Parts: sequence; C-alpha cells; structure tokens
Amino acid sequence: MEKEADVSPTTRPRYGKQGTLIDQLAAWITWPRFIVAVGISFFLFSILFPFYWMVSSSFKSREEIGGREPVYIPSALRLDAYKELFDPESPIGRFGGNIVNSLKIAIPTALIALILSTLGAYAIARMRFRGQSVMLNGILLVYLFPGVLLIIPLFAMLARIGDSIGFNVQDNLPVLVVTYLAMTLPVALYMLANYFRTIPVEIEQAAMIDGASRLGVIWRITLPLAVPALVSVAIYCFMIAWNEFLFALVFLNDREMFTMPIKINTIFNDPTPRPHVVMAASTIMTIPVVILFLALERYLAEGLSAGSVKG
Amino acid sequence: MATESKRLRIPLFNRWNSLRAREARLAWFLILPTAIIVFGLIVFPAFFSIWISFHDVGLGNLNDVFSAPFIGFQNYTDVFNDFAFKFQGLNSWGAAVTSIVYSFVATTLTVLIGLVAALLLNRPFRGRGPVRAIFLFPYVAPIVSVAFVWRWILDPRPSGVLNDVLMRLELIDLPLAFLAERGLALLIVVMFEAWRYFPFAMLMILARLQAIDGTLYEAADVDGAGTMAKFRWVTLPELRYVLGAIFLLRLMWTFNKFDDIFLLTGGGFGTKVLPILTYEFSFKLFDFGKGAATAMILFTILVVFLIVYARVVMRNVDED
Repeated sequence: MEKEADVSPTTRPRYGKQGTLIDQLAAWITWPRFIVAVGISFFLFSILFPFYWMVSSSFKSREEIGGREPVYIPSALRLDAYKELFDPESPIGRFGGNIVNSLKIAIPTALIALILSTLGAYAIARMRFRGQSVMLNGILLVYLFPGVLLIIPLFAMLARIGDSIGFNVQDNLPVLVVTYLAMTLPVALYMLANYFRTIPVEIEQAAMIDGASRLGVIWRITLPLAVPALVSVAIYCFMIAWNEFLFALVFLNDREMFTMPIKINTIFNDPTPRPHVVMAASTIMTIPVVILFLALERYLAEGLSAGSVKG
Repeated sequence: MATESKRLRIPLFNRWNSLRAREARLAWFLILPTAIIVFGLIVFPAFFSIWISFHDVGLGNLNDVFSAPFIGFQNYTDVFNDFAFKFQGLNSWGAAVTSIVYSFVATTLTVLIGLVAALLLNRPFRGRGPVRAIFLFPYVAPIVSVAFVWRWILDPRPSGVLNDVLMRLELIDLPLAFLAERGLALLIVVMFEAWRYFPFAMLMILARLQAIDGTLYEAADVDGAGTMAKFRWVTLPELRYVLGAIFLLRLMWTFNKFDDIFLLTGGGFGTKVLPILTYEFSFKLFDFGKGAATAMILFTILVVFLIVYARVVMRNVDED
C-alpha cells in the first residue's frame, strides 16, 4: 500500500526509449547476468581457496612447506605430513587416539541429545502442561549466555561435585559429554518441536482412538514421520561436539585425552612450526563434517535457516 | 463451561487420575531430563557466576568454593582498573571498547555480505543448488580448521600466500604481519568473521527473498520501476524484519565469541575482546572471581544492547 505509492514518483524507466533495441537488450539481460556471474565467481573463489590450500598444503613435503616462496601445487601427493601425524614416537603424533577421543565424545552427545530432545520436544509440541511456556523460554534463554560466562561456574561446580563423589573434572570425557549435552539440547529441542508441529495431529488422534498409548503413538507414528528432522538434529549435535573448542581446552590437560581441536591447537603452537601437519590434521577433521553436510544438505539448510544453530 | 464446573466437583483422587492430569505428568516426565541438564548446567551456573564475581575464588579454594571470602565489588573495581580492560586513548582501546567496535563492525559486514550473497543466489540459474551448498562451507567447517588455514594463508613470512600474491602484484614491498600489527589484526579478524558467518545471514535472507509476493514486483513494473528502484522500494522493506533479527542474533553471538579471536591472534595486537580477557583472568591468572566479574560485565553490556535494540529498532520495524 504505502510501498506501491512510494515507487511511482521517484522512478522513470531506467533504460528509456532512447537507444536501439540491442542496447536495451544488452542493458537488461547481459549486464545483471554479468554482475551475478562475477559476484558468484568471487564468492566461490574466496570460499574454496582456503579449503584448497588446506588440502594441498597437507600433501606438501617439508621442503615445499618451508621454502622461500609458497608452492601453489604440490609436486606429488606426499603423505609425509600424515605419517608424522600418526607417528607413535613423535610427541605431536598419535593423532589416531585424538580421533577416537573426538568420536567418543561426539557420538554419545549426538545420540543422548537426540533421545532426550525427542521426548522433550514431543511434550512441548503436543501436550499441554503447567509451566510449559516458562520451560520453553527458559531453555531458549540459553542462547544469551556466553560460553566464557558459564565455564567458570561450571568448572568450580563440577570440581566441587567431583570432589565429593570421587571423579576428576579434568581429563574426563563423560564430563565433557554432559556439558556438550547442555549446549546441544536447547537447539535440538527447538528444532524438533518445530518439526513435530508440522505433523498433522489428526494422524496421532486416529491412532489413539484405535487404542494406542501416548508413548505408542510417539514410537509408531510420530518418529517414523520425523526421520529427516531426527537425522539433521543428530548431525547438528555431532558437529557441535566435534568442533567444540573452549570447554575441551579448559577441561582437558592430558595429551592422551585431547580431542582433535585441542590437539591441532597444540601442534600449531609447538615451537617447531609444522604447517603441513596442522593442515593434514585439519583436513582429517573437516572432511567428515563436509561429507555429512553435503549428504544431508537439503535437510540441514532448512534447519540452519530456521535460525536454530548457535554459532 | 460444563467441563469446568464438573472438574471442580470431582474429588482430588479422581483429578489425580484424570486424563488431563496424566497427560501433564507424562509431559513433565518426558521433558524432565532435558530440563535438569539445561537448568543444572546452564541456568544454575549463570546465577552461580554472579555469586563467584563477588567472592575471592582462586585455584587454592576451588574445591571448596562455597567458603570463599566475600569481597564485595573488589573484583569489579580490579577489572575496571585493569589496563587490559579500560580505554586509554586511541592506541590502546582496552577490551570493552574493542569488543563493542569489533562486534558492531563484524556483524554489519556479515549481514551485508550475506545480503549480497542471497541476492546473487535469488534468481534460478544452472548449478544453483551446488553453489548454495558451497557457500555454506565456511559456516559448517570446524572453527579450528578454518582459523588455522587462514593463519597459514596470512603467514607473515614471504612464503605466506597472501604476502606472495600482494608482493607479486607490487602492492607491498615487504611482507606484512597481518595478524601481528595493531589495527590491521583487528581488521583481519573482522573480515574473517564476515567470511565465516555470512552463510547464516545468507540462508535466512534467501528464505525471506523467496517468500516475497511476486505481485509486488509486477506492480513496481507497472509503475515503471528499474532494478535499483525495485530493490530500494520493494525488496529492502520486505527484508527489514529479517535483517533486524539476523543483526541481533549475530551481534549477540559475535559479542560472546571466544574461539575465533583466540585461535587467530590469541587476543594480542589490539584484538583482546572481553571473552578472551575473561579466559585469561580465569585460566591464565587463575583468578576466577575476577574472571567471573569480567563475564558479568560482558553480559551486562549485552543485555543493555538488547534492551536498546528492542526499544529502538524493533519498534520501528513494528510500525511498518
């Protein structure tokens, strides 16, 4: 209404009657297309070059990586960096153990978060109970709190609890899993509740009239219909746990317990610079994430655009 | 109304067993594990952090936090007087000012680049799907990997790629230490932030763009509007709300962000923001009280932003 009124006075046809038909065509079709093509190429280059540089650097030899000038294309696919990374003798080696640690944290986080958030999201999407909105808003409030604000009290709190029941806060992978659950559950809950609301209630009501219990309905009707959402939520949680840096940095001290991000940080900060090894480790850490993402891009992009991922 | 009066008359025992009550109990049972974890590990610690910020908590009494001595506002005055925190002129901004400038500039740049990317991808063309997927890479890839690959690209030696390219183009004579020079380091960190987080803005803007009613553009065509006029008078007003929301979310998250700057510069060379300062007080100096006080200051600034934002920006959007 207001918008349409605004349009008319300010504008004349930009590519007016003067000029030939060809000029008009050139102005209308080629020019915007040209800009779009240049723009997209620029974006693609600035996005892909760092990834190319990461992978290609990981295949360079020590001479190529430490030379006076950068080597743009490695002369051969050398595995020196990877060998050093998995070398059981070297202090910066034994990366296999770090991969296992990361998996030991990311897989349980994803599975437990998936189970708990499915239950909670169903209750929020489908059931009415006292305190529902307080609960949901309280859980979403988590978006506000910075990680650095939480880590001090968490550290103190868990140290105190650990002291009294007898576990160590530091170098304890289950402790990390629990803190990652706290980070991923609100996201997962929010995403799944939104998805459950899109499933027609009538299907569930029909099943309940046929005598199914609530839990039976969840298991037999809702979950099979929500498989895409469940898969994306699990992958999100996996990725958050896989990538997490700050909590792992504070809670892990022992090299043997390091997750991949902390180990890569250690290799980078080692007095002897080994950029090719850092890049090899980064490649190993990035590839599973990118493959998972590409395989499920269609579902994941929807979840991302729902604004549900904190990052 | 009939059900309402009936419910009042049934005895307590029956109400406990009523379908509605059983539903509510089941709902609580379903959400309880999530609630316990989230409240126990986020909401409680957030309040506990306030408590810690008024007490003298160090490594020595960490295992016995609750008997730490109360010291009032001592931690806060310590932070305010710390040279890393306070503004001391244009050469040394201090963490508070650096944080605010950094978050605003980085967020603005992120949203702008996201807008450009979304406009580029708005019209269908061959290969749009794969291109969109690639555009999301910086956001999806692990922060550690992308931070270190950028450090390696920005390597200060002549063998760093960017230095090599700039020297070949004869734009610079000597290699630059991109991440180790005041001013330049902050600029690079801002650009990194935009590079990494524009896909988030892009996705949300793209979703909104695709939902704009085509008849608005037709009406503009009838009125003789050109491409720029259509963008100015149709697209931008339609995007206002989503742009406001993205700006707010990204501003919050950028302000709270620790990893990116820590991995890129370690907080040196004029890039020390409040989250880094909090980390240093707590886990380098092991003065947890001072760290918690810094975190509370960070949080207070954030809440002030939110309130101002809600009152100024969101109200304008609502009037539309």
